[in-house]
Amino acid sequence: MHEDGNLEMLMARYQEGDFAAAATLIDRIGPQLHRFFAAQLQSRAHADDLLQETWLRIHKVRHTYRPGEPALPWFYAIARHVRVDHYRRSIRGQAGARRLEAVSRNAASTAPDAERAHDLDALLAPLSAGEREVIEMLKVAGMSLEEVARATSSTVGSVKQKVHRAYGKLREKLSGMRTGKGTRGGLS
Amino acid sequence: MKDREIDEMLSSAPLPPGPDPEALRRIADSIKPSMAPVRPLWPNWALTGGLVLICAAVAFAGAARAGFSGVEKMDWLERALVFSALGLFAWAAASVFVRAMIPGSRRRISAGALLAACCAGLAGVFALLFRDYHSTHFVSAGLLCLVTGIAHAAPTALLGWLLLRRGFAVRPVAAGLAAGTLAGLAGVGVLELHCVNFEAAHILVWHTAVVPLSAVAGALIGLIVSQRRKPA
Repeated sequence: MHEDGNLEMLMARYQEGDFAAAATLIDRIGPQLHRFFAAQLQSRAHADDLLQETWLRIHKVRHTYRPGEPALPWFYAIARHVRVDHYRRSIRGQAGARRLEAVSRNAASTAPDAERAHDLDALLAPLSAGEREVIEMLKVAGMSLEEVARATSSTVGSVKQKVHRAYGKLREKLSGMRTGKGTRGGLS
Repeated sequence: MKDREIDEMLSSAPLPPGPDPEALRRIADSIKPSMAPVRPLWPNWALTGGLVLICAAVAFAGAARAGFSGVEKMDWLERALVFSALGLFAWAAASVFVRAMIPGSRRRISAGALLAACCAGLAGVFALLFRDYHSTHFVSAGLLCLVTGIAHAAPTALLGWLLLRRGFAVRPVAAGLAAGTLAGLAGVGVLELHCVNFEAAHILVWHTAVVPLSAVAGALIGLIVSQRRKPA
């Protein structure tokens, strides 16, 4: 899914002040990070804002990337931080809190109807925010367990545990949908 | 349903639409004026070593001012076990602190687990070595040691922050907890070098307490930092 070697080389050039390398990184990583935000917020406008804020933060702390280290977890770690920060700021405002509550309730309870049954959002709906995040990083961004652990500031063991729980929930949901396929028009 | 089938469904599921290419171009344009070469952070081992040196320097400076009576009263076994345990925990705490200040670093142990291990480890070493179960002036002597330890933890934390000020904590509370644990170990170092009160209860309670108190203070500072941090 991603070309690690190139990303790391581009990051090293970005640190040297090469604008072309920075622009290439934005083109390559921007869509992944946008999907990462969109999957949690279900709002394109919010995802756009967070992507912009994340890149400004990345630019500000680009010296903290260590040449030779995997670059993708570094990007995602900063993106996660921006998302948590945004969440906290939104919660501080009453209106923001109400909106976020509605959004997260919506995200958690989105019922996969026949049309959206194959959507990634609908598939991951029964998972907790943490489990969904780990599955997205592993299966959508194509990161390894080690990279996900780095990005989420946790251990590989803890990531494996989340994946195990998430697969259990997905298996339960998808098996249930297969059984009820005749009446509801399920997945396969 | 097998894991492979779930994998296939996840990989074939349509993804949400990506950002507008115009938005990506705007982002690139917004960083263009401030493009300049930056110097990456030092390697982990250098930063970790620097923090341990700060820790040792503060402990020795504190004991040099107050006197090395404690270490002079210890026998060789006590010296070897107490200071090697302190050195080991200080290295572990410094390593966790450094990793907490660099996004995307590999985590082997959480800051909370580090604090628990340091407290349990120190208490274990103290309980093994110091068997005088008498207790005189437990609270007054203890508070004095606690204040001395915390007073030396504060400059250690400040110097540590100066060394890592170019880092970026994605989880400021965890970084604060690790920094506080490290600083607390410097405080315990001063007490072990200086304090001549070898009563088991005194050392177990008041010397060890410097570490969790300092760690909690660090975590609180991290919490305040995270709440006051402005968007980039």
